[in-house]
Amino acid sequence: MQPILSARHIRKAYGAFIALKDISFDIPKGERHALIGPNGAGKSTFIACIAGQLPGVEGEMIFKGENILSLPPARLAKKGIGRTFQISRAFLHMSVLENMMAAYVIASGRWASLSDRVYDERIDRVHAMLETVGLADRAKDVVADLSLGDRKRLEFGMALAADPDLLLLDEPTAGMSIKERHFLMEMVAERVDATGKTLIFVEHDIDVVMKIARRVTVMVRGAILAQGSPEDIKANDAVQAVYLGGGHG
Amino acid sequence: MTGQDLKTWRAKVARATVSWRFVVPALAVVLAINWMASTSTSTMMTEIMIMALFASSLNLLMSFGHMVSFGHAAYFGLGAYGFTLAVVRGGVPPELALAVGPLVAALGGLVFGALCVRLTQIYFAMLTLACAQITYTVLFQWYDFTGGDTGITGFMIPRFGLSEKGYATAVLAVVTLCLLALWGIVKSPLGLSIRAVGQDRYRAEALGLGARRVQLVAFVIAAFFAGVAGTLYSVLHGAAFPDYAGLGITLDGLIMVVIGGLNSFAGGIWGAIIYELLATFVSKVIHEWELVLGLILLAICLAAPAGFAGVSARLRAMLGGIR
Repeated sequence: MQPILSARHIRKAYGAFIALKDISFDIPKGERHALIGPNGAGKSTFIACIAGQLPGVEGEMIFKGENILSLPPARLAKKGIGRTFQISRAFLHMSVLENMMAAYVIASGRWASLSDRVYDERIDRVHAMLETVGLADRAKDVVADLSLGDRKRLEFGMALAADPDLLLLDEPTAGMSIKERHFLMEMVAERVDATGKTLIFVEHDIDVVMKIARRVTVMVRGAILAQGSPEDIKANDAVQAVYLGGGHG
Repeated sequence: MTGQDLKTWRAKVARATVSWRFVVPALAVVLAINWMASTSTSTMMTEIMIMALFASSLNLLMSFGHMVSFGHAAYFGLGAYGFTLAVVRGGVPPELALAVGPLVAALGGLVFGALCVRLTQIYFAMLTLACAQITYTVLFQWYDFTGGDTGITGFMIPRFGLSEKGYATAVLAVVTLCLLALWGIVKSPLGLSIRAVGQDRYRAEALGLGARRVQLVAFVIAAFFAGVAGTLYSVLHGAAFPDYAGLGITLDGLIMVVIGGLNSFAGGIWGAIIYELLATFVSKVIHEWELVLGLILLAICLAAPAGFAGVSARLRAMLGGIR
């Protein structure tokens, strides 16, 4: 299948510390791809590279045939890359409804409008998305009052507002209960498949990874240790030794 | 919450609805006081209204854009000088020159803002201060054009010859329209975008919003309304002085916003009222009235960081609970 994203010799250094060492791989369109590995492996750095949030990245990041490495995050969002953050970054002092409305207004490009009609034209879609992520009942609540799980679901909905082709989720279930993790990721998988999007997610919960991902990349110390289907990864001795520790073998 | 509930709620809260039940009586009270008051009180009221507009323009940046400007007086001064110089040097009729002041201020906001929004937080604040000091220095030093430190006086009859009461009424009309416009902006999609960037620029950028562009638009809008205030002030006194662009006016505005209440649209208005009343009445009793102001600021920062508007909201909530 034609790759939607191709990383070519990606390298990122922070002074003397090399966070990513010559990373190259393709992500086919429509794939659900997990990035796993121990802390400090470079997973979040790689996500930030794709999303244009890091300066000084070397190599090529080809998205839909175009090298996007030098583009700022706002341009990448418009080109079809949506993301959530490791630590939830919803607008804390706005209500859930305002957050989702902001996402839809920005996605529409009508951010500079002074007309209420922009709201009126989007309120049904905003409401539908709040229903999808299970937050319609909390629309009036301020985000600062939400649980971590609710914030993550809100962020996921906001990331979908622009209808991105590639969705990047950086530790989407961090801090959640097991039940919340599976609920969120099953919802994500369902939504991604239903809309034909491509998903790259960073995840530490191996059960979630094995259930959701169709393909897994294991990173260690800024390099790729192994790639393959969840079953291949589980059976990989090097991955067992370095990351999974035999518990899933 | 059903879809219909959601729409109804949004119509009440998110839309730029104006609480006329509050605005109309407030305007009636101001008009009544102006009608009954002495000429000096009318002048004081005029100054309060002008400063309320200035503080509200700064409040747009601070409370909604989370951009603390240490140089907002530059646009007050550019408004005043834009109007004055258009009349004195450009030969523009004063009535037409009224539009020049705010436009010059907005242009200044565009030029300086493009520079300032390249940085954030304290570095942004320092750049705004630097731009204001440049403006002040040019106004202060360029004797041939701006009149230097003596400013420009006697170029028009103050207040266009209107009585103090008449000018206060005119200023009330202009300031009310400007505040309604600012309220409309805050509640519009543009206002939502300004708040989004203010609260988390990385999230906003990841959604596709160019943070600097939004901040620049907010900066120019704030400069425009500060320019309106500066123009009204220049007409009030029939003069323009470099101090209009000085650090003193900026600090006045910052104190007004903090006293009135950060994160509240009404903060700038309440702050201007409280500050000007303190300056007028406490200074008659205590020579060092700034000491009282300092103590009030201290109390607000420690006990009521949401300012007067926050205290007022809490009281309303408590009273509502009692009922």
